[in-house]
Amino acid sequence: MLIAEPLQIAIEELSKLPGIGRKTAQRLALHVLKSDINNVNNLLNSLKDLKEKIKFCKDCFNISTDDLCDICKSVKRDRTVICVVEEASDVIAIEKTNEYNGLYHVLGGVLSPLSGTDPESLKIKELFDRLEKEKINEIILALNPDTEGEATSLFLAKRIKPLGINVTRIARGLPIGGDLEFADEATIGRAVINRSSI
Amino acid sequence: MILKSIYLKNFRLHKSSVLEFSDELNYIVGGNGQGKTTILESIYYLCTTKSLNGSSDYESVNFNEEFFEIKGKFFDLTENNVVINFINESKRKNIYIDEKQIYKSSEVIGKFPVVTLTQSDHAVTFGSPGDRRKFIDSVISQTSETYLKILIEYNKTLKQRSSLLSQIKERYSPVLVDQLDAWSEALLKNGSEIVKHRLKFIDEFNVYVSEAYKNVMEESEIPFIDYDFYGSKKVDEIKDRFNEELTTNRNDEIRRGTNLVGPHRDEFQFILNGKELRKYGSQGQHKTFQIALRFAQFFYMKDKIQKSPIFLMDDVFGELDSYRAKKISHYLKEIGQAFITMTDFTNYKFLARNEKDKLIEVSEGKAVYA
Repeated sequence: MLIAEPLQIAIEELSKLPGIGRKTAQRLALHVLKSDINNVNNLLNSLKDLKEKIKFCKDCFNISTDDLCDICKSVKRDRTVICVVEEASDVIAIEKTNEYNGLYHVLGGVLSPLSGTDPESLKIKELFDRLEKEKINEIILALNPDTEGEATSLFLAKRIKPLGINVTRIARGLPIGGDLEFADEATIGRAVINRSSI
Repeated sequence: MILKSIYLKNFRLHKSSVLEFSDELNYIVGGNGQGKTTILESIYYLCTTKSLNGSSDYESVNFNEEFFEIKGKFFDLTENNVVINFINESKRKNIYIDEKQIYKSSEVIGKFPVVTLTQSDHAVTFGSPGDRRKFIDSVISQTSETYLKILIEYNKTLKQRSSLLSQIKERYSPVLVDQLDAWSEALLKNGSEIVKHRLKFIDEFNVYVSEAYKNVMEESEIPFIDYDFYGSKKVDEIKDRFNEELTTNRNDEIRRGTNLVGPHRDEFQFILNGKELRKYGSQGQHKTFQIALRFAQFFYMKDKIQKSPIFLMDDVFGELDSYRAKKISHYLKEIGQAFITMTDFTNYKFLARNEKDKLIEVSEGKAVYA
């Protein structure tokens, strides 16, 4: 079947995006084709701006429009606590909760010998530079509770503790508003082991 | 749990078969290559969505046909209708429970528990330590989701750590060695949990094994599964023992570039009358042990999940003398519903039967009730 080349190319490019398969890519491309030219330009510009105007905070490596991100710049944040996360998307997730008022540090990944990610390819050295320069009382490790996240947490904890800094990890357990009976066995098991007093 | 009936369409030799089962014993008899095992295979598919002998879905489609479909009517507290079909062209397997499509096969597993006794059980007693670990892991995993999850985590950690060790072997660098402790600690955490589960399991399971053995064999032979972790059987010692082994073997692991210690190297020794079965057991003792293990698994699972698994027995009677065939057929009565294939009737007359049992003859992919 012959498809006009510009359409083919657009489908090809769109299907490179995560979570977008060929069919969705085709739908998106055809949608763009039908859209008003102004809307298409807006989309193009927003993507271009995203790439050109966003940089990474030089302290915490969160996404930012300046050298320093809004969180690192803010005077209202508690500057003695750093929450270590895998990706900038995790910062967004924690910020949405409004429960945390400290600083962040984005590692840019987790240790994984299989895919060749070692401590040097993560922002680990930069984290220790911060610990040296700033007065930090607590490090909260908020990495994903998977194999690689666990190993990375253990790696970091072992090196931070000797500096006399309190190292904690976010709790894992039951989702709020969820029914106990619907949670999986492993999660309930973990929640029972890590129970807290009230 | 009872399987009331199945319908097979283009499944291997069966072009179109409808089978109604007895709530008790179902004997499926026929010559070689007539489609007996296919019936067990289809039941196994319904319970696990996978093939019994590891063959692909594609291979299960009847020659010259484009798809297969299996339907099964289970009855536990309520009726459950399971449908599995596979279409060659789309290479897609669709699973439906009570007309609702299921997208993850893990949602089906455990819902319809199944225990199989087949020729490949040979490997459990004759084979490598890995074969025994596989058996033990499968029994625990089917009754504990927690265990299965820890096992998956442990295996992932093992892969990562092995990759790291082989990188260190190739080119020794501080950056690489620096990470080893973190991966060792992750291994230690999950590994100790696995050992604790295994110790507790073996303790309980041994009771079931000796009970089953008594029912399969008259003689006063005493079976026993022996398991220890680097000489220790105490749950609260495990983590320290593991840690010691990791420390002692650290340089060796680096030199050889691979994981050398941990529960992935565990051995479960099958003991009969104080002697190791693998070394000293006769063929008959091996067979009896294999049968006892599966019966033990059945009753263990039944107690743990409070649901009676489906019991599939493929071509076991052919190998037994009439005395033991009779004994086992008596024991099968305690199971409830079971599906048993046989190549000939030689042993059939010795079996303990009652009027509720069903005899199904299979010939060229067609079933007839005798």
